[in-house]
Amino acid sequence: MGKTARHLRPLAALLGAALALSTTACGGATDASPAADAVDISGSISGQTINYWSMWKDGEPQQKVIATAISDFEKETGAKVSVQWQGRSNTEKLVPALNTNNVPDLVDGTLAKLAPVIGDTGQASPLTSVYSYGLDGKTVSSVIPEKFTSNGVFKGEDGQPWMVPYSISSDGIWFDAAKHPELKAKPPATWDEFMEVLDKLKASGAAPIAADGDIAGYNSTWFVTALLRLKGAGSFNALAEDKSGAGWDDPAVLEAAQKVESLVKGGYLNSGYNASKFPAQQQLWANGDAALILNGSWTPTETGSYAAPGFEYSSFQFPAIGDKPASARVDFIGFAVPAKSKNQVPAQRLAAFLLDAKYQNALGTDAKVLPVRQDAPVDPAVASVKAAIDAAPATHLQNDGVTFPGYTEKVFFPRDDELFLGKTTAAEFVAKMKEAQIQYWKDNG
Amino acid sequence: MSLGLKEPRASKASPQNPASRKPASRKAPAQGRQPGSSIDVQRKKLLFPFVGPAFVLYTVLFIVPALGAVWISLHKWAGSGPMKFVGLDNYGRIFRDPLFLSSFGNTLLLLFVVGTAIFVLAFAMTLVLRDMAGKKVVRNVIFFPHLINALVFGVLAGFIFNPGGMVNSLLAPFGVTDPPKWLAQDNIFPLIMVTLVCTTTGYFTTILMAGVDRIPPYYYEDCALAGATAFQRLRYVILPLTWDVFGTCAVLWTISSVKIFEIVWVFGGSSGAGVPPTQSWTAAVYTYVNAFSGQSTPAYGAATASAVLSLALISVLVVLLRRAMRRDAVEF
Repeated sequence: MGKTARHLRPLAALLGAALALSTTACGGATDASPAADAVDISGSISGQTINYWSMWKDGEPQQKVIATAISDFEKETGAKVSVQWQGRSNTEKLVPALNTNNVPDLVDGTLAKLAPVIGDTGQASPLTSVYSYGLDGKTVSSVIPEKFTSNGVFKGEDGQPWMVPYSISSDGIWFDAAKHPELKAKPPATWDEFMEVLDKLKASGAAPIAADGDIAGYNSTWFVTALLRLKGAGSFNALAEDKSGAGWDDPAVLEAAQKVESLVKGGYLNSGYNASKFPAQQQLWANGDAALILNGSWTPTETGSYAAPGFEYSSFQFPAIGDKPASARVDFIGFAVPAKSKNQVPAQRLAAFLLDAKYQNALGTDAKVLPVRQDAPVDPAVASVKAAIDAAPATHLQNDGVTFPGYTEKVFFPRDDELFLGKTTAAEFVAKMKEAQIQYWKDNG
Repeated sequence: MSLGLKEPRASKASPQNPASRKPASRKAPAQGRQPGSSIDVQRKKLLFPFVGPAFVLYTVLFIVPALGAVWISLHKWAGSGPMKFVGLDNYGRIFRDPLFLSSFGNTLLLLFVVGTAIFVLAFAMTLVLRDMAGKKVVRNVIFFPHLINALVFGVLAGFIFNPGGMVNSLLAPFGVTDPPKWLAQDNIFPLIMVTLVCTTTGYFTTILMAGVDRIPPYYYEDCALAGATAFQRLRYVILPLTWDVFGTCAVLWTISSVKIFEIVWVFGGSSGAGVPPTQSWTAAVYTYVNAFSGQSTPAYGAATASAVLSLALISVLVVLLRRAMRRDAVEF
């Protein structure tokens, strides 16, 4: 053994040194980054270069719009933008980069993905100057609808906004207006009217609702939206945050779960929805084998290639259940600037640049997505969703913005799936959620 | 996993070590021991130049990150920003989390149930293929599924088992109007297990066959002369002479089964766009979801704690397995 030890000793020393190095690296990362102040971004940025990690891949419709904007930006300002079209994994790549000094100057993504990574962790620069930046005589903040910003979703702990949205997404109950003109003429406004529509569809022999039951995020939209209709935007977040779990005893919570249960038990969901693989059910819906689907504003682009000939996309909002003002779901896609970026001014200028009417219009008409500016025109396929958002008095995020670590995937989704896939009743669901949530907050409180 | 890889090396080296180490020691050799040969001394001198670079790379790329993971597992951390030291809390929480236990249970199912099925089938195929005409072609055919990306199987499962898919269409003419819900959440994991058996058996059959092919034909002739049955031939000739190959395969499977991730990911949750149903999670999926699900704030502490725990438990398994499989290699 003596010999072994002698061999091991230098190796152990080596290992120790390496470990020391690695832990000091970690230690560096734990230092709270200095809270950056808003910078003046109005000066000349000619000759400066920024590094932009995009959530879009080369060839995507949104990428084409942004690429045009970037080339115009370079011509106008003399700055240079070096882009990596990384795709949706850009936020995952951002996490390790934020622990180094080699960060991108500009990133984009959905609020749901950027917030946990860069917003909530205080790693983003305040973009107050972007909001007050002037575009054709209007400030950026004046072209972003106030209801998007009034609930403070873009604000960090310092009270300053760290994200500037350039596009939004939403949801609705989609149908083929060519086949069901009556739904377009008079969409069901209340839950009772909605049930009447479902009964009529069922009586006619058609499957009323298609659902890709293997996607927990789609399944949960039913319960969460029902709850928000009953108790208002922010109520699911408050429910999830309740450490005592007592919120689940609220009769309104049970009622929301019963609404979901009634769809399952009533046989309104397309047979096989609980044992299929995405996108089988939305394909079936686009082929006209089911009448309705609750899905995102991306549905027309996602199903366009296989929709039945003559399919005319239209949608109505999730029906009202109580007398609360119905909020519309609005999720945001936009820019953030890492606090460690050394090129704050040109990065923030590019973030503002995409709010220009030219690119906002292009997002609506060429890329067929929803631009963040209310005055930008959109494609007819998503016009119904845009009208609903414009009319809604308030907005809510997907899953009401719940991002507690692991809560969604480990506590909420599995139990909500059981409810939506018909394995538990509404009462069992509520009881199970209460128990699991108490345990969750005991462990994570 | 890194420990698992190290283990076979260490134990392979150990039989020669006790004899060869002592003599090369700089101290005077203990009385009654013979000094090592000059070859042994040369070998010692070459240890550092040859092993050093690999060891440094291995340390930097595997051991340091593994220790870094242990360090992170003692914290509450979202991947960037402030780290909060929480001691062993993450470990306690994981042990109390029924989801981790069921995920780890699934990993063990893969390791033992799928592993047993694979090796029984691989041995059976080895025996059948040994005497078969055109065995080279067959060998390639059964190896082929191993080359295919798991994503293909995930997508294929949709085509085959969707409510309007191939299986149900084929069953319909036989009057099956209410076929089983193949892709229901509870059925996904069994389906993954079957798929893994199908795709991995060929790989191990190929390795085992290489071992069986080494056995000189005169042993079989001897068996024939002695009137041994096929089972006796397996028991007394094939198994003992391929035991080392078999042991290596068992360790390879143990290590790879613990890391099984992508096939679970693509089978459930829209071929990777969402999180698969919790019934089909393995320990690796559990780890991934904690850090990268994209649905909530990343919990790197909990993720690394579950990775460290899986690594520790698997290292123990590999050591036990090596112990159980230890035989003196038969020279032939």
